[in-house]
Amino acid sequence: MTLELVAIFLASSFRLAIPLLFAATGELVSERAGVVNMSIEGMMLAGAFGGAIGAAMTGSPLLGLACAVLAVLPVALLQSVLTNTLRANQIVTGIGINILVLGLTTLGYREFFGARSRTTIPGFDAWPVPVLSDLPLVGPLFQQIGMAWLAIAIILAVGAVLTMTGLGITLRAVGENPQAVAKAGRSVLALRHGAVLFAGIMSALGGAFLSIGDIHTFTEGMTNGAGYLAITAVIFGSWKLGRTVMACLLFGAATALQFQLPALGLGIPNALLIMLPYLLAFLAVAGLVGRQTAPRALAQPYWP
Amino acid sequence: MSVASRSAAPPRLPPGLAGLLLPVGAVLAAFAVGAVAIMALGVPLGEALTAFWRGAFGNAYAISASINRAVALALVGTGFVFAARAGLTNVGGEGQIAVGGVAATAICLAPGIADLPLGLAFLVPLLGATLAGGVWGALAGFLKVRVGTNEVISTLLLSFIAVWLLYWSVQSEALLRQPMTSSATLPESLPIPVTTQVPLLTGSYSSPVTLGLPLLVVIAAVTALVLSRSIFGFQLKAVGLNPVAAARAGIAVGASIVTALFLAGAMGGLAGGLMLQGEQYSLKAGFSSGYGFDGLVVGLLARNSIAGVIAGALLFGFLRSGGISMEMGASVPSALIDVLQGLIVVTIAGAAYYVDRGDRK
Repeated sequence: MTLELVAIFLASSFRLAIPLLFAATGELVSERAGVVNMSIEGMMLAGAFGGAIGAAMTGSPLLGLACAVLAVLPVALLQSVLTNTLRANQIVTGIGINILVLGLTTLGYREFFGARSRTTIPGFDAWPVPVLSDLPLVGPLFQQIGMAWLAIAIILAVGAVLTMTGLGITLRAVGENPQAVAKAGRSVLALRHGAVLFAGIMSALGGAFLSIGDIHTFTEGMTNGAGYLAITAVIFGSWKLGRTVMACLLFGAATALQFQLPALGLGIPNALLIMLPYLLAFLAVAGLVGRQTAPRALAQPYWP
Repeated sequence: MSVASRSAAPPRLPPGLAGLLLPVGAVLAAFAVGAVAIMALGVPLGEALTAFWRGAFGNAYAISASINRAVALALVGTGFVFAARAGLTNVGGEGQIAVGGVAATAICLAPGIADLPLGLAFLVPLLGATLAGGVWGALAGFLKVRVGTNEVISTLLLSFIAVWLLYWSVQSEALLRQPMTSSATLPESLPIPVTTQVPLLTGSYSSPVTLGLPLLVVIAAVTALVLSRSIFGFQLKAVGLNPVAAARAGIAVGASIVTALFLAGAMGGLAGGLMLQGEQYSLKAGFSSGYGFDGLVVGLLARNSIAGVIAGALLFGFLRSGGISMEMGASVPSALIDVLQGLIVVTIAGAAYYVDRGDRK
């Protein structure tokens, strides 16, 4: 492997991990509060679609990003009301929402862009970090669009809030023992609604990264399992922020490796690399890699 | 979960009636939305419905294809209900279908299988598919009992693993991919020998309803009986309602959980075997695409009734076929069917709270 290839590999690993970093961080917060959003996939898709439409109509990727967040709000709200207020099965509602969003965005895309056209839409340009981006080997790592740095900033902020603030402690307690939180006078429902909404907005950012950040176009069902991969990252990360971030980077690297295999001439089957994240997560939940500590009230509706 | 605080709930419909009205109402409401959407797309409603009708019921072939699809969905849905009785959510239908398809292909193409007498040539691969799906499901059950892994997470992950195993097996010549004679050789398996194909009821490819239909009827009837009348069915229910109490009553909780998920997976595997040996005849990467999740949704819609599973499977089987025809004949995107299906699921899941409220005593 030449140094140049290593540099490209590092940079593309990071780039491919960014949508996962957004979505997985959002899902982590929500799962720590006790709500599983199978709909991360649909929420990312809604974000990708909203971002694409917004950017195409206004010509500004920044306004596109705002549209991505707007587009995800009804989806996140639906998920939250169904699972928290109506106490519906979290898995089933999530899968239903994914089917619904896939259908709606495909219909909307055909109406808006016309069937099968692949128009390029305005997207973000790279924001190279001065000095660092000129370094050998790691230089390409620092030639990402601004959203990459936004992801890192949000992750650091989430880490700080979760560990150092009262809100963070309460939020984690809601996922472990909601009854205790209710007894302490905090609203379980409000906290969980907030957590799902946060997961939705983060997913929208991740989805928008795919459409207006990375490839500057929208295609039907373009998230193609990225949402499930983000959920898998949270599981493999054992519901801890640091480990989840590492999982996202690892999954990004596995994806990047798929594209580099031909260049490297390695005999690893492509399918094995695509399967790797799910396999690792499965081994992890099977207790073969480290210990898993899911929040105790995960996926359980709260009855006062 | 306190009960007293909700004892003053408003008067409700009898649970059985509400359980029936809810899915019917949700489906009708979704259809109404669909009609509005079609008109909003600027397609004459009559034209769209004609195309839909042609695709779903238009001729013997269309009806047969819809029925075959419904059989696969009903099998996955029946498995879902089986596991649900023990309080387990099997979201792994997609992967169970995939491993079933892979196993069926591998056995069909194995030397000697095609020459087996007495219909064993198609029965052996079908059994292999069933077992493979069963093992895939039981794995999740085993983990739940041994390590305490939530079966929702493990069946979902196993599902993705299986789908990529399928992809791998048709990409690699060392596995099931047909020999590469040119660069245009498609990544799929060789077609299975004719003797290993599941027989068609009419014997004609113009109305290809397979033996899977009577097989499903038998399996559905047996499942309904086992769940409602047998000791095993009672044990599953006890495990689902309260595993601790069930264990104290002497029920082997661990074995029940593994068995329930084995059976759920086995039905998914059988569905995969039937889809391959009865319809597609060669393994392709997108083989299981969507069937598993549709089957799950059918299981949910049915609200634990096997009759409901059949009704739901027929509905979705014909909806999908009609949707595809609507796309080709009236240029209404078949994504509209996704929208309807999503609406149905979301409505029923959300309204379950109002229907079940009375049951939480």
